[in-house]
Amino acid sequence: MSLVAGPGRGGALSSGPSPQQLHTNAHIRYIQTLDKRRDEFEYWLTEHLRLNGLYWGLTALHLLGKPDALPRAEVLDFVLSCLHESGGMGAAPGHDAHMLYTVSGVQILALVDGFEELEARVPGWKEKIAKSVIAGLQDPATGTFFGDQYGEPDTRFLYGALNALSLLGRLDFVDVPRAVTYIKSCANPDGGYGNSPGAESHSGQIFTCLAALSIADRLDTVDMEHLAGWLSERQVSEGEGKGGLNGRPEKKEDVCYSWWVLSSLAMLNRVHWIDGKALESFILRCQDPEHGGISDRPGDMVDVFHTVFGLAGLSLLKFPGLEEVDPVYCLPRSVTRKVLGK
Amino acid sequence: MSHGVPRVSSKRDDERDRKSIDDYQALVQQVNAQMQAQEYTSDTLALTSRLLSINPEFYTAWNHRRKLLSHLMATSAAPGVDLITADLAFLIPLLKLYPKCYWLWNYRIWLLEQAELYAPKEALAIWRGELALVAHMLTRDERNFHGWGYRRRVVMAVERLEGTSLAEEELVYTGAAIRRALQNFSAFHYRSKLLGRVLDERGATDAQRRRVFDNELDISQEALVDPFNQSAWFYHQFLMRCVVEQTILRLTTAEKAAYFESEMARVEEMLEDYDDCKWIYQALLQYAMEFHKLRPEAVACSKLQSWLSHLRRLDPLRAGRWADLETTL
Repeated sequence: MSLVAGPGRGGALSSGPSPQQLHTNAHIRYIQTLDKRRDEFEYWLTEHLRLNGLYWGLTALHLLGKPDALPRAEVLDFVLSCLHESGGMGAAPGHDAHMLYTVSGVQILALVDGFEELEARVPGWKEKIAKSVIAGLQDPATGTFFGDQYGEPDTRFLYGALNALSLLGRLDFVDVPRAVTYIKSCANPDGGYGNSPGAESHSGQIFTCLAALSIADRLDTVDMEHLAGWLSERQVSEGEGKGGLNGRPEKKEDVCYSWWVLSSLAMLNRVHWIDGKALESFILRCQDPEHGGISDRPGDMVDVFHTVFGLAGLSLLKFPGLEEVDPVYCLPRSVTRKVLGK
Repeated sequence: MSHGVPRVSSKRDDERDRKSIDDYQALVQQVNAQMQAQEYTSDTLALTSRLLSINPEFYTAWNHRRKLLSHLMATSAAPGVDLITADLAFLIPLLKLYPKCYWLWNYRIWLLEQAELYAPKEALAIWRGELALVAHMLTRDERNFHGWGYRRRVVMAVERLEGTSLAEEELVYTGAAIRRALQNFSAFHYRSKLLGRVLDERGATDAQRRRVFDNELDISQEALVDPFNQSAWFYHQFLMRCVVEQTILRLTTAEKAAYFESEMARVEEMLEDYDDCKWIYQALLQYAMEFHKLRPEAVACSKLQSWLSHLRRLDPLRAGRWADLETTL
């Protein structure tokens, strides 16, 4: 899966009957051909995102109702090729294991229903990945998680850990109450969360903290009113990006926040605190109707990262024709229902 | 991920791409081969420098570099401090080119932590030097999330090594940052975290706390010279929460009510020049509801309804939120 930007540009003129339609077929073709771009230098420069890219692309295809648009056997083989002896996963073969990729790997396996198959091919992987890799990265002193052995703490990794462990059914390997205490220590007076105690509130980190608290079933600790108010102010009311969401006050709107902000509002049952129609129109304006893909803002190059988060945002807005997305996992609801049994 | 990449040309230069790919892959293979063979030499280190200058997102190569440097520091005759300062210098142009690259900032932190192991005498001066670097980075982009996070890490390390607090200095720093850009939410945020600490460290009396607090209210009001400045509003909201929650002040109920009364008067005055600014109505509603809890008899319902109808007209995007608010009035 390639993370190369383009070839299309969001906001290119549509030849279709309505500029406000979703160009489903173009997006499917766009994702299917991403891995055929090995003649572009950027394909190689973005190798460190390959496994994430596969998760983003595959989730987008599921939401578009085409879960089988990528060959399943190749998907499984690629995940396996990223698996280290230790049990962790790297971005691609030859890249070190890290929480970011290990989580993407587990999510991909959930998407293709591949847990048992991998177990047959690599006996004991599940136990190993949950116990010696993910649980091993919890900081016993604070409860948060590191990305790898070099010890960077970030609530992104804490969320990733709870996400993957819950999909694997092994949350019991870690100290969840301690992780919750850590998240609380990252809370700010504006209701939001930063990546560590003292850090400024940021919509991406807010998503990770709320989703982790959802998995831990501790949303009761959230300063709901302040946080939902702060999140609703992320919707930009003027200019070309009107209706789009930004990540922090006074910043530019960006399609990826259609996910980070809106999923957070969804977890707080406050999606109606922003204008869904205005956001929908902004996301649709960022599509390339011809080559497929969605960009961060109209006029910029498309990529698979903004494509999945644009589609996931539309799904939360109940856009017709899209599969329902789970706001906690950014996976199709049908998949989390099956894997989690709830 | 491509954030803010405008499309310049649809025509790729296939020839140049192929040459770049070949050179790049050869370099990656060479680095991997030498790491595999445990050639932990300055030659391999130089190769990773070349690779990371082309692609600083190649996180595995930063890990290679950690291994290489650890080995060189443990075995080489050259003092550890030379290797560390050379590596810190290598990172500067990369940080300027890629200020949002996580791996780059993390690697730098790791390097500084090594200074404590391999250059303990110089470690404090090296950490201290980082304050100037990060100040420079934050003038290039005053909102860089990585830069502010890095600043906090450096401050914590200096405080740990010196056994002192930098809270006063940092408060001054945020004041200057706010004066340079009144909409700097990051600086306001940091200030909100420092305020209580500074008061505690000064051993401030109740009266002294109130003087400092009143000055903060003035700072936020000055920033509200542009009433569309949401950063300043969030800071003002933070201060009013301090009144309610008594986190940094000790007040009687009457004193709390007096704060709300006077701040609401100041906010209401803004309407004379800006009757089209939704933030003013929003603040008035929010503060009036708090005020109501303190002095139930003093809030006129008709005013609340009028503010709410202005708010709904001026801020239709959040109509659902204002509808919910109405049910709580």
